[in-house]
Amino acid sequence: MLLAGLCAVAGARAAEPAAAPAPKPPAATPDKPTPARSTAKPPPASAAPAASEHAALPPPSSAAQKLYTAARADILQVRVLLKNGRTQSSVGSGFLIGTGDLVVTNYHVVSQFALDPDTYVGEWVDTSGQRGNVELLAVDVLHDLAVVRVSRHGTGFFRMPAGQSPLVPLTQGQYLYSMGNPLDLGFAISEGAYNGVVTRSFYDQLMFTGPINSGMSGGPSVTANGDVAGVNVSKRLDGELVSFLVPARYAQQLLNQVALQAKAPKDFKPVVTAQLLQHQDAMLARLLETPLSLKAMGPYRVPVRESEQMRCWGSSNVKADKPYTVDSTSCAMETAIFISGALQTGQISIRHEFLRSSELGALRFAELASTSFRNENFGSYKSAHLTGPHCTEQFVKNKTLPLRAVMCVRAYRKFAGLYDFALLTASTDAPLASLQSRIDARGVSYANGLRVTRTFLEALSRSSAEQP
Amino acid sequence: MRAPYYIEILAANGDILQRQRVDSLPIRIGRGYDNDFILDDAHTAASHAVIEADGEDGLLLRDLGSRNGVIHRGRRQPEVAMTGHTVVRLGHTRLRVRGADQPVAAELSDTAMHGWEGTRPAVAGLTMIGLSAALSNWLGDADDFEPIAYLMIIAYALAGGLVWASIWAVANRLFGQVARFGRHLFIIGCGLAAMEVWELGSTALAYSLSLEWLTRYGRHMYIVIIGVMIYHHLCTIKPRHMRRFALVATVLAIIGSTMVLLSNLQSSGRLGDEPYMSVLYPPVLRVSPNHTPDAFFKQAQTLQAGADAERGKGGGDEEAEDDSEE
Repeated sequence: MLLAGLCAVAGARAAEPAAAPAPKPPAATPDKPTPARSTAKPPPASAAPAASEHAALPPPSSAAQKLYTAARADILQVRVLLKNGRTQSSVGSGFLIGTGDLVVTNYHVVSQFALDPDTYVGEWVDTSGQRGNVELLAVDVLHDLAVVRVSRHGTGFFRMPAGQSPLVPLTQGQYLYSMGNPLDLGFAISEGAYNGVVTRSFYDQLMFTGPINSGMSGGPSVTANGDVAGVNVSKRLDGELVSFLVPARYAQQLLNQVALQAKAPKDFKPVVTAQLLQHQDAMLARLLETPLSLKAMGPYRVPVRESEQMRCWGSSNVKADKPYTVDSTSCAMETAIFISGALQTGQISIRHEFLRSSELGALRFAELASTSFRNENFGSYKSAHLTGPHCTEQFVKNKTLPLRAVMCVRAYRKFAGLYDFALLTASTDAPLASLQSRIDARGVSYANGLRVTRTFLEALSRSSAEQP
Repeated sequence: MRAPYYIEILAANGDILQRQRVDSLPIRIGRGYDNDFILDDAHTAASHAVIEADGEDGLLLRDLGSRNGVIHRGRRQPEVAMTGHTVVRLGHTRLRVRGADQPVAAELSDTAMHGWEGTRPAVAGLTMIGLSAALSNWLGDADDFEPIAYLMIIAYALAGGLVWASIWAVANRLFGQVARFGRHLFIIGCGLAAMEVWELGSTALAYSLSLEWLTRYGRHMYIVIIGVMIYHHLCTIKPRHMRRFALVATVLAIIGSTMVLLSNLQSSGRLGDEPYMSVLYPPVLRVSPNHTPDAFFKQAQTLQAGADAERGKGGGDEEAEDDSEE
């Protein structure tokens, strides 16, 4: 993510009213600086006075001081370089496990050379400036983790209990220390508090109330005793010090898996595909395990799903001085699975828009409803990740409601068997009211895509009592 | 050929620029003032040519040794037999000779509507322009009624129509002696009204009968309407070349349609204007039946093959996209 862009996004979000956040979900953004920004280091001249100011301040907490001194040898910067010219394309952090040569980092730090090993290579740099090559061993895109092998050994500071051994329990409010190389400025340690498990994202994440910046992704967060609590992964751009960690147990699982595998896969695309397929199965099973809940919008009943992972927001123009009213409800999962900078997937979103008017005649209302129905995008055919949309349309009637339905499907170019589904419907039962709904299922198998869109279409209804 | 004779100077398109009566043979032609027919052309000789009887009731034009000569059918000739249809070129001047016994074509019946000129078609045209602008604005206007919005739209539309008609009127004055401004204004008025009718009619029909192609390719009808307008403008200027103008309008329409198709293909990868039919009309207008969800999802199932086939073809420019969006 472009840091310039990152700032711009943060600004845009800050400008939004708190009560009406954008329906677009990915607020938690993996932080990964780009060459544009990371090369723009402050000149050394300005760094020197800053250092002397630091000297005047009271020394940092002794726990952080001790931890950094002890851990320094085992934290690394993980860089992705363009094969041609070996210029850096993105940077993150990582840490050596035990005395071995395995390094845990984030998948999103290494995604470029995981998916495109012909163009990118990885490199590690440690705190003493040594560097060497990186070999990718395993990825876990769902939890955003990766294990790589480097050409040096750890000193044994970061311990990860082998097998199924329990990890150190954490209590809310406990201090955690997060390490990494923020913004490619140099290695750093920051202090913050552990604040429980966040269930908003589909997979558990730990909430860390402390500063994590781009470039610290993949770095370790440890307790005061040096036990690994989690892996730095992302932060909320619209909050202050609201950061997230991947729980250490997932890193433990991935390391166990690496211990079992004979050799690293040559091509990680099938691995990523399998993980995404597994994710969409779980996601849809959870979404559809109970019938979708129905909300009333005028005479219509519209299906939504409100859960920890899926939040709904509503808005209306009812106070605006218009001869029509439009109410909208949109529900979306707040996080998505990061695949590459331009592709985030594994997500469901639902939107309903209810238009009605008593003042506009049937003809003008039809024009208004058409304009609203027209204004839908199914994506470009020029995308490198997805095919163009393939659409079909029909007048459909489910049990109670006649609809105009449009279904568009796009296939993932690199991940066979995964599709984006979009179903768009407009009610066709009344001249002066129009219910327009859309469900998007991104990164699902074909069968699951059909299943979820069908469930959605069949759940749209009109309450019979108010039938005209 | 019988006396008196008429010498006619022709424009390149066959129009007669000048006609002079000569009572007897021989007829001397040239730039000098001692000629019977004086040419105002610097590329002709003082005594350029002479027309004489050929002894068999015909006429013969003979070169008198000029530098540029007498050109007939692209070749220089020492002498040319002149029938009523023989056109020769002397220097830059094209001329022919006709006798008093030259037969002429039969009288044409007058199909022009002489009453439908001037103010009346102009007012009718302006009314249609104003009404279609107002109707289109009214349909799309979901805000509170504001008279100024309608006045502005109508004013802009009328101004546009006047400019369009003026351009054609100037062309008409140039090539057809009179401006016929009212007629041209009427033509654009009809064109705009036809477009408005097509817009409403075709979308309503498409919705009613579930004819999605009608909204996907309906835009080409506007091109056809513009082609028909251009045809009528041209025929107003020159009523005698209908077939030629029909061909011109058809070619223009084909070029326009092709450009629309190609630009759609370039921007969205398909030929149609939109990926799905987006018009919604009141339920009373609909004739086509509802389908069951089963039928719809059966259709949706068939999309997989297309998407997979496209997937197999490989992607676009990945690096550009990654870098720009990351």
